[in-house]
Order: sequence, then C-alpha cells, then structure tokens
Amino acid sequence: MEVFLSSYGAAIVQMALAGVLALSLYLPLMAGQLSLASPGFYAVGGYTAALLSTTVFTGYANGSYPIPLIVVEMVIAGGVSALFALIIGIPSLRLRGIYLALATIAFIEILRVFALNQPWLGGAVGIYNIPQPFFSATRIEYLLLALPLLFGAMFFVARLERSRVGRAFIALREDELAASAMGVRPTYYKVLAFTLGAVLAGMAGALNAHILNTWNARQGTFDLSILILAYVLVGGSRTFLGPVIGGAFLVALPEIILREIAGAPGLNPVIATFLRDGRLILFGVLIAVSVFFFPYGLITPELFKRRRKKPEKVTVEAAKPTPNVRGGNL
Amino acid sequence: MSKVSLSKRLIVFAIAALLAVAPSALLAQAQEVEPIVIGVAVAQTSNVALLGQEQVIGAQIAEEFFNARGGVNGRPIRLAFADTGGDEAGAINAFQTLINRENVVGILGPTLSQQAFAADPIADQAGVPVIAPSNTARGIPQIGRFIFRVSAPVAIVAPNAVKQALKQNPDIKRVAVFYAQNDAFSVSETGTFQQTVKDLELELLDVQTFQTTDTDFTTQITNVLPLDPQLVIISGLAADGGNLVKQLRELGYEGAIVGGNGLNTANIFPVCQELCDGILIAQAYSYQYDSEVNNAFREAYKAKQEKEPPQFSGQAFAGIQVFVEALTNLDNRKPLKDLDLATLRAELREEIMKGKFDTPLGPISFEETKKDDGSPAGGELVQEQFYVAQIQMDPGGATGRFVFVD
Amino acid sequence: MKLTDQSSQQYRRLWWFASRGLAAVAAVLLIAAVIGAPSGLQNLFNGLAIGGVYAIFALGYTLIFSILRIINFAHGAIFTLGAYFTYFLTGAAVGFNGLLANQKLPFGLPFPLAMIGGGILAGLCGIFIERVAFRPLRNKGADPLLTLVSSLGVAVAIVNIIQLLVGAEIYSYPRNPFGEMPAALNLGNFGGLTARPIIIRTIQVIIFGVSMVTVVLLTYFINGTKTGKALRAVAEDATTSSLLGINTNRLILITFFLSGLVGGIAGTLVGLSVNVSGPYFGINFGLKGLAVIVLGGLGDIPGAVVGGLVIGVAESFVPSEYVAYKEAIAFAVLFVVLLLRPQGLLGRVVVQKV
Repeated sequence: MEVFLSSYGAAIVQMALAGVLALSLYLPLMAGQLSLASPGFYAVGGYTAALLSTTVFTGYANGSYPIPLIVVEMVIAGGVSALFALIIGIPSLRLRGIYLALATIAFIEILRVFALNQPWLGGAVGIYNIPQPFFSATRIEYLLLALPLLFGAMFFVARLERSRVGRAFIALREDELAASAMGVRPTYYKVLAFTLGAVLAGMAGALNAHILNTWNARQGTFDLSILILAYVLVGGSRTFLGPVIGGAFLVALPEIILREIAGAPGLNPVIATFLRDGRLILFGVLIAVSVFFFPYGLITPELFKRRRKKPEKVTVEAAKPTPNVRGGNL
Repeated sequence: MSKVSLSKRLIVFAIAALLAVAPSALLAQAQEVEPIVIGVAVAQTSNVALLGQEQVIGAQIAEEFFNARGGVNGRPIRLAFADTGGDEAGAINAFQTLINRENVVGILGPTLSQQAFAADPIADQAGVPVIAPSNTARGIPQIGRFIFRVSAPVAIVAPNAVKQALKQNPDIKRVAVFYAQNDAFSVSETGTFQQTVKDLELELLDVQTFQTTDTDFTTQITNVLPLDPQLVIISGLAADGGNLVKQLRELGYEGAIVGGNGLNTANIFPVCQELCDGILIAQAYSYQYDSEVNNAFREAYKAKQEKEPPQFSGQAFAGIQVFVEALTNLDNRKPLKDLDLATLRAELREEIMKGKFDTPLGPISFEETKKDDGSPAGGELVQEQFYVAQIQMDPGGATGRFVFVD
Repeated sequence: MKLTDQSSQQYRRLWWFASRGLAAVAAVLLIAAVIGAPSGLQNLFNGLAIGGVYAIFALGYTLIFSILRIINFAHGAIFTLGAYFTYFLTGAAVGFNGLLANQKLPFGLPFPLAMIGGGILAGLCGIFIERVAFRPLRNKGADPLLTLVSSLGVAVAIVNIIQLLVGAEIYSYPRNPFGEMPAALNLGNFGGLTARPIIIRTIQVIIFGVSMVTVVLLTYFINGTKTGKALRAVAEDATTSSLLGINTNRLILITFFLSGLVGGIAGTLVGLSVNVSGPYFGINFGLKGLAVIVLGGLGDIPGAVVGGLVIGVAESFVPSEYVAYKEAIAFAVLFVVLLLRPQGLLGRVVVQKV
C-alpha cells in the first residue's frame, strides 16, 4: 500500500483535479453551452496562485507554507477567474454550439500567447519554486486540499441540480426558446453557469500550481480543453457524477496501462513492450470504443434508477425524487 | 436510453479497479548479482519525443558500454525507463514510479526545464540524486541539493559562435536575432546572444520571435531582410530552426548565420539540406572530440543509427557515466552492498559532487551552488570544452557534417 | 435553404462566391494600401502564401463538416499520414527508431505519383475512420459531440502508432521533386511600387495554386455533379434523402475518401515546404485549421479558402515589433468575427426552428 500510495500519489491527486476541471466544463454544459474555456481559467488561477505565493505571501520556509494561505489563494484565483469569465462570457455567450466552443478556444490561445510574452509571468520558463505546504516527496498530502475541493464542487453541483437555478440551466439546455418563454432569462443563467465553471477551474489551477511547484504557459492549453471534454462525455454528461468519474478514469488509464498491466509479472515481453510504448494507442482506441459502447457516458442517471430497486418498484421509486436522478430527467 | 446493462458496467469498473490496485510484485531477478538500477525519465512520447528519443539512445549505449566494462566493480547496471510525456504532471509521475517502485539509486531526466521545476523537488525531497541531461534554464541546480546537470547553461556556449562569425568576416556590423519564445532554452540563450552582440558593439537591428511549432517564417524574415543584416543569430530547435534557415536562404539572405545550441544536431540536415551549409553552431558537445570514451560512444552510436551522435545523446551518455563512475568510487570507499538504499543515494550525491569525470563532453565536474536564501543546493556543471562548428553539406544536400573551427 | 432550380442555384452560388471573393480581395487590397509602406505588398504575398497552407489544410476538414455537421479531429492525423505515405512510396527508408526501423518499400515511385498514391492511401484511412469511429455512432443516433470525442481518440491512436512504427524524427523529401525549379520566385518590384523586389518561395506558390484548383474542383464536384447533388441532399437532410433512394452511407464514405485524399496531398505539399516534423506534424495545424473553417463559415468550401487567406494575411501584417503576438492574431480575428458574424465570413444565417 505504501508503495502504491507513494508511486501513485501525484496521479491520484491529479485524478481529483481532473474531476474538478470536468465539473467546470459540465456546469456550462448543464445550461446547454459547449464552452471549452476551462483551461483558460485554470491557467489564470494557476498564475494567480503562483504570483501570490512567490511575491506576496513570502517568508515561509519550504515545506511550511500555511495551508490556509493556499485556501486564500484559491478563493482569490476563483474571483479573478470569475472576473475573466464575466468579461469573456457576456459578449460570447450569444454564440451557440460549436461557435461558442471556438470563441472559447480563441480565448485560451490568446491567453497563452499573452502569458508567453509577459516577463512578470516568467515567459516560457514560467514561475517556479512555488512554496510547498508539505515536506513530502509523494504529493499525496495534497489530497487534503484536492478532495475537499472535489467533494465541495460535487456537493455544490448536486445541490445546484436540484435548485431553481439548476432547473433553469437544464430548461435552457433542453429548449432555450421554451425556457425563455417561461420566463427564464437565457443570458443571465448562461453567464452564471459559465462563471461558476470558471471559478472551479480557477481554483483547480491555483491548487495545481502548488502541486506542480511551477506554472507556465504550457498549462491550460487547447489540448487540455479537448481532454476535459472527453472526461465529461466519456464519464457522462447528464449527471454530475459522470464528469468526475470520467476525469478520474481517463487520468488513471494511461498510468494503469503503463505501470500495472505492462508491468505485470509473467507477461509476454512483446506484449509488455507494446503496452508500454503503445499505451497511448490503446488510450486513444479505448476513448473511441467507450463512446461507442457508452454513448451516454459511463455514468447515466438511469444507472441509479435501476440500482435502487427491482424493476417493479421503479415507478414507485421514481415518484420520490432521489438526489441523483432528477438532473438528468428534467 | 442506454442498452448496456448495469452488470456490464460493473464488470468494466471492477476490471479497472482491480488493475488499479493490483500489487505489482517485483520480479525476483534470476541473475546471481542483482544489477544496480538507474532511472531514466525522459519524454518518450508527446511532441518533445524527438529529443527524448535521442536521450534514450544515448543512455542505452551507456548501459551496454559500461556493463561490457564490468559495470560497477563487477556488478552490472540496469536502466529503468519511465516516460514523462511532454508535461509536468507526467514528469512527476515518472519520477515517483522510479523512486518508489523501481528503487533507483538516481535518475537521469527530465527532458524539459519546465518539467524539471515540477519533478526535481520530488526527487530532492526523497533524497534521490538527479542528473539533468538537457535542462539549461537558470535555477535548475538551485532546486535542491540532489540536483545536478550535465547540460551547460547557455551563457558560456553562445558568445564563442558570434566571435567566430566576426573572425570569418570582420566587416559584420548589423545583426538580426530570431528566437523561439515558447522554448525555455531558446529564450535564455537569446538573452546571452543579444548581450554578446552589445558587448561586441555590433548593431542589433531587430529581434523577431517565433514558436517551436511554427513552420512558416516568411513574415519574420521579410520584416528583417529590408534592414540588410550581415549576421543572423537563431535560437530554436531542430525543426523550426532548420526551416527558418531554409526559408532565410530561399528568400535571398546571403549573410552569415549563427545557430544556437538547439541546432546542434544532425536532425537539421534533412530540414535545410544544402542550405544548412555554412551555419556556425555553438556546441556543448562535439562528436569530433578526440578521447577514448567519446570515440567509443561515437562508434557505438554510428553502429546503431548510421549517423553522428547528437548532443542530446552525448549528454545522456555522460549522465549515465557520471552515475556509474560515482557509484564505482563510492563502492571503493564503502562497499555498496553494505549500504541501505537511502544511505546509498545520499552518499552517491556526495560522490557525484566530488568526482571528476572524463565524458564524451570532455572532462567535467560539478560545483556546489546555493539557493537564494543561502542554503546549500545542487551541482552546477563545470565543463572545460566548448566548441564552435560550421556545418558543411555534401553536394546534393543529403548528408553533411559539423566541422570544428577555432 | 431549399433546392429549387438547380442551375439557378448553381449560378447564384457562383455569383455569391465570386462577389464575396471579390469583396475579400478588395478588403485585403485596401489593407495593403492602408499599410502602404514599402513592405505592404510583400506582406500581402506572404499572407497569401501562408494562407494557402491554412486553406489547403482546412479544405478536407470543412468537407466533412459540410456533409456531417461534425468536426473530424482526426483530420490532422490523416494529413500527417498522407505525408508519411508519400515518403515511403518514393522508396525512401524509415529512420533508425521505431518498429519499422530501416525498412523500405522494394520499389520507389516518382514523386508526383507517390504524392497521389499517398493521397489515395490517406483517403482509404479516411474511409477506415468513418467505418470505425463515425458510422457506428451515427447508426446509434448518438450526440454529434460524441463523434468529436471518438475522432479525438482515433487521432491520439494514429499519432502514437506513427511514433511506435517510425519514431519521432524529422522526415524530408528529396529536393526539387517536380523537376529543376528555383527555390524562390522574384516578382520584381512592381514598377517601383516597392523598394525591394518581392520574393516568394516557389513551393508556396504551388501550395496556393493547388488549394485554388482544389477548391474549384470541389465546388464543381459538389454543385455540378450528380454525386455532389446527392451529397448536398444528404447534408440537408440525411433521413429524407435516404428515403428518396440515396445511399447515404456510400456517399458519406465518398466524402471521407475525398477529405482524406485532399488532406493527404495537402500534407505532402506542406511537408515539401517545411518537412515532416514528426508524428504531430498535422496535429499542429489542427487548432488554426479549426479557426480557419469557422472564420470562413463552417462547412463552406470556398469559405475555408477565404478564411485561410484572411488569417494568413492578418498574420503577415502584424507589425514587426509585435510579431511575438502573431499566434494570437488568428484567434483575435476569429473572436471578433464570431461576435460580429456568428455564422462566419461566408456562412449563411441558419434560421432557428421554432
């Protein structure tokens, strides 16, 4: 177990953060907005934390950086991201579907080039020697921060799905015209969903700046956008559990293939070599295959419906709303 | 909605979960002497794989070479490879695997400086010596006590090539500079180049930037050509740097070209072909360096790849060599078999710091550095030999070579 | 938009293309005149040359979107594959890394034939991708977004297969594959209009020419042939057209083949210009390619060319001291155009159904 934790520590923490990032894309998607801007806010959050911890909150020896300060950074990063989200979101959320996706991609690319050109953001090298709160080589202690962030985000989104605001989001997703006819203000709720997602992404970035110990313009680019979209769609986009599971699954998958399957004792060396060198081939194929076999994602609201009771009782159960079902069925 | 049954899903999850927690029992080695494991964490996939691939070859040649010579006082070495990919999280994962599962005595890696800032602190906290084969950014050895590098920080290499260009054509006055702004190495190298231009009282006409992923440089080139430069200095990597040279020449530039250390690879020959001819390159490694170990390395490399070894392979070889020789010195002082892993790693660090190594890079050693707060940090490279070479292409442009100039 | 009288539709489309094209050229010339400076014309030609590369990449990309309304992320990978196929068909050997190290074909084709062969093989890969990644999802009636993810999976797989088989090194074609040609063309200084003679690399002129010819051929194919009309019918409404006896799946296969063919040849030509820099060669164009096809109006074939040229020209007019921001220009233009004209430069307004 110790070997497991110490060699997978960082990967487990990254799984939790992937869940948060996936939720940050899921939120606008709940309101029917395909926004790929999460990596942009993630980058903004990371830079915010990197700057704060290396220039403002200085004077702490390595390994003794106070955890509350990281929380403060995360809150500030969330606020800065929200500000960016409002500036970007209000004009661009008139766009639909792929056009909105493209506008958000444009935003991250502009942000990346901007960051590369700013000496105060460290240029290509970025900001490094970000102070660490733990004396640790495994990074597993970061779960103390990553898990509350993930569970907090999950709790928040779960509550949101059942609230009036959440129902407005979902109404917008299902039929914007009908929703606005019923008095749901589209722009307000779209910008709200977009901003909430941005806050989550910014907080994830702030935390990851500490975990990675460095932040630069290579963080939060277009590649990550597409990967996060895959987290959400592979995991399932109709309940908040889907993106979380999808993120954890896709982050873990290449590591598992590499270290466990390819490293299994007694495996034919040719196969082991293929698994090791070709694990990303397998990863790509598994993504393609998984959307085929699970077109609604690995986790669907129906999953919980069926699991609750035997079929004959489904009608009775369905009448009583259960926390996980409603979001997807509205 | 979905037709896939719950049980199927559960099976998928169960398999995934099982795989995740499956204990990976280390295979008991059947050999009589258990080899000493040295980790290599470089980018074997992603778009930096071109560099990582050269490092893997260099390290593998070193493994064969030193094992054929009896390894560490008769005990063989084994390299454990862990792919970092191109990102920071990947480098952290690879380091943790090598440190905790492969129980390596030290790590060669990672490929990019940005990855080093993320992964090196982990090795430092775990007390595992790291030798960086290609991290040239400022502040790498200052990450921690256990961090060393065999890649020269650029400040030393770059000026020589500019001086050489002036020697070949003393009339040079007007200089234009190009650099890849998204590459940490190129950014710091261009700083040195631009300083050199100022120090030599040349006129810096213009500075143009590009990205390592760029392929078309006409905009930058036509910005510069009307200023009529006599010398162009390029800091970039093989593919982009080579294309830039090619397009400069095709668009009519006839002056001198100085390439940074990133262009010190035969990989640029296919890119600019006969147009590579005449580029002056600042080198931290030259395959023409005449020493026993470099000749052996060069032969082994040519036998595998049918071309001259590039700098990245040479530096990777040197990194493994430092580990092997430091381990040998340590074994002579305190037999390795009597040391537990943590002590061995700590002692190895001291041994690397003390040692002098005759590598393909020439004789090298390390000097202690300090962090900003004055506490002790890792070892900065002390390298004696630096080279300036000029590229000479064969007619037809299919093959070429670096020719020493001095 | 309903198909009424086909010939008038064709004329209308031709006129529409011509007028918009003229407007774009006029706008571009205007910019050139405004900038006016000695380098104005040179910048314009540079922009057209760079834009030609974007356009030729985007053509195959936009073709699939025009029929299926989905973005094929694997297009960059197909583009890369085409470049590698051509390399091997010329009889050149694999490098020293990867599983196929030092292997080569027992024969070598002359370069133009190899290029066409590479395009055809890339087209077959396009068909393969349609069969394994697109059709199964379409048959299930899955969300188009899933197809995007599935094509992403395919792209990841292809890139890594290339690396596993032939390594990450740079591959390059023989020089002057189309016979002895000057590396660059000197267009002179336009009767003293520019201070320095304008110089353009020959290969970029070829790429520009090929993308123009391709767009004309594709436009003719879509608007002027029976298959093309059937394709448009599928694009308008797949269900109805299959009820009308159109073999939808076969037509979609043709689309993927054409997209792959165009992509493969484009990959070869761009590789000729800038070398095949490794398995990520085409993927690196993917992001900007996306900007190009959206700017032109998604699924609009002439639009892809106009989008490519607009971005190319915009990039080449970035003042020298701001060249570091050049990469952001394409996306800044994209962002502004999206806000002003969400349907793209040449896109049609789609009336929201109520």
